Amino acid sequence: MAMSKPPAADREPEEKISIRGVSKAYESTNALDDVSFSVPEGEFCCVVGPSGCGKTTLLRAIAGLDDVDSGSILVDGDPVAEPSLDRGMVFQEYALFPWRTVRGNIRFGLDRPACECADCEARVRELVDLVGLEGFEDAYPKELSGGMKQRVGIARALAVDPEILLMDEPFGSVDARTRDRLHAELLDIWAQTEQTVVFVTHDIDEAVTLADRVVVMDADPGTVQSTISIGSERPRERTAHEFVDYVARIRDELGSPVDISQKQRHR
Amino acid sequence: MSTRTTGTKLVTAAVGGGDRKRYLRGFGGLLAFLLVWWIGAVTTQPSYLVPGPLESVRAFVTLFTTSAAIAVPLVGSELVLPTGLAHLAETLFHYVPGLLLGAGCGIGLGLTMGWNGALDDWLRPLVRVLRPIPPLAWVVFAIVWFGIHHTGAAFIVFVGAFWINFYGAYGGVEGVSTELTDAASTLGVERDRSMLKLVALPSAAPQVLTGFRTSIGRCWMIVVGAELFGAPGVGYEIINASNNLAMATSVAYMFLISLAFLCMDVGFRLVERSMFAWR
Repeated sequence: MAMSKPPAADREPEEKISIRGVSKAYESTNALDDVSFSVPEGEFCCVVGPSGCGKTTLLRAIAGLDDVDSGSILVDGDPVAEPSLDRGMVFQEYALFPWRTVRGNIRFGLDRPACECADCEARVRELVDLVGLEGFEDAYPKELSGGMKQRVGIARALAVDPEILLMDEPFGSVDARTRDRLHAELLDIWAQTEQTVVFVTHDIDEAVTLADRVVVMDADPGTVQSTISIGSERPRERTAHEFVDYVARIRDELGSPVDISQKQRHR
Repeated sequence: MSTRTTGTKLVTAAVGGGDRKRYLRGFGGLLAFLLVWWIGAVTTQPSYLVPGPLESVRAFVTLFTTSAAIAVPLVGSELVLPTGLAHLAETLFHYVPGLLLGAGCGIGLGLTMGWNGALDDWLRPLVRVLRPIPPLAWVVFAIVWFGIHHTGAAFIVFVGAFWINFYGAYGGVEGVSTELTDAASTLGVERDRSMLKLVALPSAAPQVLTGFRTSIGRCWMIVVGAELFGAPGVGYEIINASNNLAMATSVAYMFLISLAFLCMDVGFRLVERSMFAWR
C-alpha cells in the first residue's frame, strides 16, 4: 500500500512529517508557540512534556482534526488539510465504537469508502492475531479491559495500513504491568509495519523505552525545548545505566517539578 | 472464557435470591392494597362511590363474556368482538397511528436538528415556545379541524408522541461524543451523511428507543384524556360507565388500560434488550 513519492526539492528525501513554525492559541493560553521539528520516515518519535504543553493539540493538528493559527504541517511535502487514511490515530480513551464488536471496530476503516483488500475477513483475522485478541472477536468494548480496548484501538488504526501512526497517550489509562507488555507488543508491531510513529506522552520512562528520538516540550507557551536521540538497543532495561541517564537528561530539560507546577498554577 | 461463565452464574444466583424476597414483598404490598380497598368499599355509603375488588373483577370478566360491535375506520365494515377488546381496538385505531406518525416525525426532526447546527439555530426558539404546551390543550384544534373522532384523537396522540420522541432523538444525536466522530474521520469517514449513518445514528439509537418507550406510556395517558372528550375507546367507556353509576365497570376499564400498557412496555423492553446487547 505504501507508495513512495518522488522527493520534492525543498525537503530532505526521507522527511515524512515536517512541522514548521506552528502556533495555536486557545483564549488565554499559547498552546503551541512557533513549534518546528520534523520526523524522518520510519522513525519512532515520542513527544514528552507537562500537561498543557500542547502536545495533544500538535498531534491532532498532524491528524488533521484541528487547525493551527499559523505555520504549516507537511506530510510527504503536502500540507495537512483534513484527516486522511494515511494517518491513523490511537486515542487516549480508546474511542472505540461501543455498538460494534472487536471485529466490527477493526473492520470500520476497511469499509470506508470501500474495501480495497482482497479478503477483508482475513485482514481482520491477521490484525486480531497481531494484537493478541484471538477469542474476543465477537466481544463488545464494554466486555474488555483497558489494555484490551487499546489493543483494539491499535488494530483498528493499523487496519487501513496507514503510513503514519499517531498515538495520544494511548497507555495512560492502563495499569503498569499491562503497559509494559503493550510497549513490547507495540515495538514488535512497529518493527513489522515500519510505520512512522508519533507518540505523545507525559511519562519520561515510556518515551525512553519506545523512542528513536524524544521531542521535549515546555508548557505555556508550548515550545520545543530540545530533541534527544535515544541510541540504546531495544529492548531497553529501565535499570540500565544508559536508560537512567536519558531519563535524567530529559527531566533536566523539562525543568524541576516545582517549576512545572508553578507554571501550571500561573495559567 | 470459563471464568466469565462462572461469574455470570454466581451473579444470577445472587439476583435470584434477592428476586424471591422482592417478589414476596411486592405480593404483600398488593394484598395490603386489596385489603384497604375492600375495607374502604364495604364501609363507604352509598356503595357506588367505591366499588369493591370482587365487584370490579366481576365487571372485568363481563368485558370478555359480552360482545360489542364497532366500526372499523377507513374500511367501514363492522367488527364484533368481546366488549373489552372491542373498545380497546377502538382506542388502538387512533392510538397506534398517532403514536407511530408522531414518533416518526419527532425522531426525524430531532435527528436533523441535533445534527444540523444551522437548522438548530433556526428552530430552537420555536421549539422552546411550542414544547411546553400540554398535548391535551390541542384538543380544541383537534375538534375544530378533525372533529372529536378517531382523527382528532390521533392528532392529540401525535402531538404527545412527537415531543417525547423529538427530545429522545435530539439529545441522542447531540450527545454523540466528538472522540467517536474524530476516530471515524481518521478512519476515512468524510461526508456528513456517512458520519450520521455510521456514528451518530448507532450512538443515538438507545436514547431514541428510550424516548419511544416513554412515549408508549405517555400516549396512553393522552389517549384516555382525548377520549374523555368523546372519541370512542376505553377512555370513553370509563366515563360512559360512570355516567350510569356503573363504577365497577369504570374500574374494569382502568385495569384493561393498565394491562394493555404493561404488555406493550414489556414487549418493547424485550425488543430493546435484544437490539442493544452492546450496552
